[in-house]
Amino acid sequence: MIPLAHFMLISAALFCIGLYAVLSKRNAIMILIGIEFMLNAAILNFVAFGKYDKLHMGGQLFALFAIVLAAAAVAVSLAIILNVYTYYKNIDPTVIDQLRD
Amino acid sequence: MPLLTFFINVFVPGKFTRSGFCAIASIAISLLCSLLIFIAMWNQPFIHVQTNWFTIGSWSLNVGILLNNLSVLMLPLVSGIALLVHIYSTKYMQGDPYLHRYWAYLGLFCFSMLGLVIADNLLLIYICWELVGFSSYLLIGFWFTRNAAVQANKKAFIMNRLGDIGFLTGIMILFSQFQTLDVISLFGEKGLVGNAIVTGGVWTSGLHHMPAGWLTFAGLAFFLGAVAKSAQFPLHTWLPDAMEGPTSVSSLIHAATMVAAGVFLLARIYPLFNDTVLIVIAATGAFTAFMAGTIALTQNDIKRILAFSTISQLGFMILAMGVGASASSLFHLGTHAFFKCLLFLGAGAIIHEMAHLKEKTGLDYDPQDIRNMGGLRKYMPVTFVTMAIASLALIAIPLTSGYLSKDAILIESFEWAEGKGGWYRLVPYSAMITSWLTAFYISRLIFKVFFGKFRLKEKVGLHHVHEAPPAMKYVLVVLSLFCLFPVFSLNPFMFEDAWVIQGFPQADNMTRINAFHTVVPAAVNLISVFLIYLCFLWYGSNKPAPDFSKNGLFKFSQQQWFFDKAYNTVFVAGVLSFSRFLYQFDLIIVDGIVNLFGTIGRGFARISDWFDRNIIDGLVNLIGYLAGKLGKLIRKFQTGRLQQYLVTMLLIILTLFIYKYYTAAI
Repeated sequence: MIPLAHFMLISAALFCIGLYAVLSKRNAIMILIGIEFMLNAAILNFVAFGKYDKLHMGGQLFALFAIVLAAAAVAVSLAIILNVYTYYKNIDPTVIDQLRD
Repeated sequence: MPLLTFFINVFVPGKFTRSGFCAIASIAISLLCSLLIFIAMWNQPFIHVQTNWFTIGSWSLNVGILLNNLSVLMLPLVSGIALLVHIYSTKYMQGDPYLHRYWAYLGLFCFSMLGLVIADNLLLIYICWELVGFSSYLLIGFWFTRNAAVQANKKAFIMNRLGDIGFLTGIMILFSQFQTLDVISLFGEKGLVGNAIVTGGVWTSGLHHMPAGWLTFAGLAFFLGAVAKSAQFPLHTWLPDAMEGPTSVSSLIHAATMVAAGVFLLARIYPLFNDTVLIVIAATGAFTAFMAGTIALTQNDIKRILAFSTISQLGFMILAMGVGASASSLFHLGTHAFFKCLLFLGAGAIIHEMAHLKEKTGLDYDPQDIRNMGGLRKYMPVTFVTMAIASLALIAIPLTSGYLSKDAILIESFEWAEGKGGWYRLVPYSAMITSWLTAFYISRLIFKVFFGKFRLKEKVGLHHVHEAPPAMKYVLVVLSLFCLFPVFSLNPFMFEDAWVIQGFPQADNMTRINAFHTVVPAAVNLISVFLIYLCFLWYGSNKPAPDFSKNGLFKFSQQQWFFDKAYNTVFVAGVLSFSRFLYQFDLIIVDGIVNLFGTIGRGFARISDWFDRNIIDGLVNLIGYLAGKLGKLIRKFQTGRLQQYLVTMLLIILTLFIYKYYTAAI
């Protein structure tokens, strides 16, 4: 039986990697991938904590639900990135700074 | 009644006429109407028509027409004289560039006078009274390019304003006492004034009380109005100056309209006067008559002599009012209207000729100065005869109208004085002396103008002088007919038979003293005839008359008792110096205060300016500066970079988390 702490460590590591990718990458796709990392870390936590709810399988079900949602979110995000690219001819988030004052 | 409205309607367009014909036609129609009214209404009960004018609160003012003996006597008198003057003016004013203005003013004048006569309401009378004053102002200043005329009309206007104050005061007193201005309800037979009682120093009418002094005061106030209008002492000085207007206008003012208005007013409100006021009236009248008579003795301007003669005769009328002989007063008003109008128009004819002569010969002399005339009898016979008749009427020689009316006044004043005794006898005696003075000055005028030789003969030939044009001549003839006794009374010696006297209530407060009825006329006439003869000796030929000019009294009279000078020094100079004082006061005190306030204000302004600049502006700037700094600071966060925002969010969340974690631990 793998202790819970391992799951948690892996999940924290995944989250930190994802966070790093989101904050440091110069490519929108890579940022998206970072987000997926963080999402998967959260899902991993769901599954891990699901062992305390064996009867209703709440954690597992919620993980499935989140995966489906993540897939939809990725689809939408990619579409946005595609539109951003056609508009700016670029997907570097540091260049797209029209929100500045 | 339709007759009345017709009369009003016809007259009103006369006001706006632009041609002499129209003016004459309208005044002729109004004469016709007033004659019809006169025939219909004389000695009949009065007619009183009213209509509501306006309402203030619960009190409404009615205006209307009142025709009693007094007004129907005045109507044909005013319109008749006005008609004759109109006809006369067609020639006299011929060629004047502002002729249409003249007709319009004349129309307005007659309109306001007729309105004054028939008005039934004190307010309405006051309005017409003002209109009369105003139109006389216009007419006196008709030749407005002459400075003297402008001065004269201003003087007339101001003097009349003084009187108007009195009139208005009287109206207000009466209104506050009786709450009505209606002439009939005030002064009628059972009028409020008659019913009001004076007991123990309180003047009571119905529910209203006033100190009795107000009764006297109201009487005096009304009398002040009449004094100004009828040119009595001390407001008489406007009348001689009013001679600056055209002669026909002077004649109208003097004979029937303006000056008669004052006497008419006294007759209208006669019941109001108590004994004190009546004595004041009588004394004023007597004094004015005497004073004007003495002044007329020495004047050389033909119109001025006549002007002072008018003042003197008006003094007689006022005196008669004062002694209670209002009927005689009105009688004298009527007779005087005719002969004074005639005298003025005759003088106008002479001046007309003299002015023509002046134009033709190019000589420079005063066409109104009687010292330049003389011997005109042969050249202007009609004028001479008519003026002589008028003068006889003025002197009150028997067989003329003046004899009837003037002796009526004299006799009644003697009777009045006899009833009172003491100092009151001064009044009739001064009146008698005045009538002798009248005889002297008017015969001086006649003899100087018409007898002897023409005094300018050496300089100009006489062939230029001729009779006045027909329009003027026939007017004179008509007027002279009215100066004779049959028009007024069939008995040339007894004034009591005159229909005018019989048309008015007799004064009942004096006993008839037969002796006076013989002695007074006899004395007046004998001495008058003597004086006329004396005049003839002195002035009838070109021999130098006795010279009085060194005499102090002569100068006193020549200078018109120094009234003008006194008024100038006392009032004009007083007002001037007072205004100079006020000017200085303004300059130093008022301006000083204003300037002081200005300086203080500037000081305050400087302080508040400094305060504004340093404190208020400083605060505002500080806030602005802070906001700017803050903005700059916050601006730095707004990079537009997604990842920096995320880092910030992460840091904030971590901070919160750590804070939460450690506070929980603590």
